[in-house]
Amino acid sequence: MSNVRRNFLKRLGAVVAAAAATMASASPAKAFSSRNPGRDAKDPRYVGQEDKRWGMVMDLSKCIGCQACTAACKAENTIPDRVFRTWVPEYELGRYPRVRKAFLPQLCNHCEKPSCVSVCPTGATFAREDGVVVVDSEICWGCGYCLNACPYDKRYFNPLTQVADKCTYCAHRIDEGLLPACVESCVGGARIFGDLNDPKSEVSRLVSGAPSTVLNPASGTRPQTYYLGLAGELQAQPSGPPILDDLARKRDGLPAAEWTTKA
Amino acid sequence: MDMMQTVHTLTSITPARPWGLDIPNYFWFTGSSAAAFIVSSFAHVFGMKKFKPIAGFSLLVAFVLLVAAPLNLIDDLRQPGRMINFFLYGWENFGTSPMKWGVLLLATYPVLILAEALVLYRPFLVRRLQEANRGVTRAFYKGLTLGRTDLSEEALHKDERLGFILGAVGIPLALCVHGYTGYILGVVHSSPLWHTPLMPILFLASAMVSGTGLLLVILPVAQRFFTTTGRIDKEVMTALARLLGWSIIIDLVVRFFWLTFAVAFNSNERYRLMDFFGYHFHEILWVEYVLCLLIPMIIAFSRLGRRLPWQFAIGFVAAVGVWLFRWNTVIGGQTIGKTTAGLLSYHPHLFGAGSIGAVMANWLLFVALLCAVLLVFPWDEEMDRHYGKELES
Ligand code: SF4
Ligand code: SF4
Repeated sequence: MSNVRRNFLKRLGAVVAAAAATMASASPAKAFSSRNPGRDAKDPRYVGQEDKRWGMVMDLSKCIGCQACTAACKAENTIPDRVFRTWVPEYELGRYPRVRKAFLPQLCNHCEKPSCVSVCPTGATFAREDGVVVVDSEICWGCGYCLNACPYDKRYFNPLTQVADKCTYCAHRIDEGLLPACVESCVGGARIFGDLNDPKSEVSRLVSGAPSTVLNPASGTRPQTYYLGLAGELQAQPSGPPILDDLARKRDGLPAAEWTTKA
Repeated sequence: MDMMQTVHTLTSITPARPWGLDIPNYFWFTGSSAAAFIVSSFAHVFGMKKFKPIAGFSLLVAFVLLVAAPLNLIDDLRQPGRMINFFLYGWENFGTSPMKWGVLLLATYPVLILAEALVLYRPFLVRRLQEANRGVTRAFYKGLTLGRTDLSEEALHKDERLGFILGAVGIPLALCVHGYTGYILGVVHSSPLWHTPLMPILFLASAMVSGTGLLLVILPVAQRFFTTTGRIDKEVMTALARLLGWSIIIDLVVRFFWLTFAVAFNSNERYRLMDFFGYHFHEILWVEYVLCLLIPMIIAFSRLGRRLPWQFAIGFVAAVGVWLFRWNTVIGGQTIGKTTAGLLSYHPHLFGAGSIGAVMANWLLFVALLCAVLLVFPWDEEMDRHYGKELES
């Protein structure tokens, strides 16, 4: 090897060593991380409750479509206009004269194999040890890949943070031993929340004791939000009329939102 | 009446979708870049003589397309200031997030094309360096030659070998750079329109159509107005028109497999897709398939395919058609409801991020960059040299 080259390599080695040393000495939260700085720093908010597996059961026979959960979630988590972490769509099933109404409370399913997590190119979306899927709003760069990857449309861009956002099962509350806001406010007691790892918890008893299902099981993401008494028709709807909000905007002469239901 | 259709949504919310106009445009740019690179490799790597005169030119086009392309991505981001996070974090998802592959591909491929261009144009750049009398100009060209000013037979031979190697490495890389965008959509199982392993191939096949089409449009303009002779090379145009015809055939075959597998047989996704294709039936059939693929293909193989105005026209129409295909795939895929019934519709904004204005700005930038690159690189001299040789022999 020529002298010049050897010297160059030596100097390169020194630079790399210096860079590595600087990184290593930086505070752990700021240290170089190929995943996500908060997770590497073992921040408890990022780790969650290690031996738990949080899940929710929706007893549809008890939901009356009052939207108390929708409102409670908005207040608890400061959710801006026109976006929602949870909501309860209202459907009409059957044909006249045999019709009935159905409500379908929905929120992020905190999937066991969440596709939103696998596609995230910045590691901003990840699952905690207790299965709660969260977004690190400091790391997310707003590419929207997870919004498209979620088979349940349970993500949106938050106009305040300008990054991906969704239900966290009220992680900040459950870490304090409280219930998620929607569960606490549910008038009919349709939302039951608890630890699926604990066989004695109410969610475990409900999931194993009665036939339950999840939304669109074929998505392969293994949702951990279970439904009791879900009507089969609601699982896949090939067509439907425009949603009232879109019609109302039209009637009021407002410009259409970027995305609307087809008129 | 279908049982399923009796479900009526009385109230719900309309889900928003993240990817607007920028994304189909990005896919069109990367795809056309890959195709232009491959056309240039026909000469450099596979030794196809008829593409020799435009090899350098298409290489430069490929480069400019690829420089302009990622700007679409940045515009689409909600937090563009956090670009660095893309490089630093999230490597644990490398295996499952094709978007992540872009870090490596978009960082290496443009450098490789530029390197190849610098090697191939080195003799010309050295001559410009020798002719330059201003200090700044000299420094500029000195930089472009990377300090290698040797014009001996041996050095030129080395250039050729280097050009071959870079071209050979570049072909799989070009395929990856566009193929990965197909992956980005293909792995999204929540969208029945996207979720097919054919997506990368579909993207590559249509990219050959748009890239060749684009060359058919800008090559005659460049040759007619910006070379010393002002002569348009009819032979190369005919070769390109033929290439367009063959690319369309391949594209149609791949699309045939895609559509027949997705829609014809009884799968769960079929119902959503039938809804989608049913709604857009006429525009997709008549515009995308008949006007933008079939007719250009027939013209390319007919006698009209030897006439310049027709070559120009089919190149233009086919390139636009592929843009529409990108649009129908990216935007169309997002219009299919996941938890809402039926289809959504998209109303792009005129101004702001992801708007019509932003995409137009990207196109203007592409044209400006192309002009700049064509000014710096002596592609016209290279062409003259080839045509000069032709006249001699
Ligand atoms: S429901 Fe969607 S957002 Fe929630 S964990 Fe599953 S894939 Fe992710
Ligand atoms: S929008 Fe944010 S959380 Fe979603 S995939 Fe992109 S970086 Fe990850």
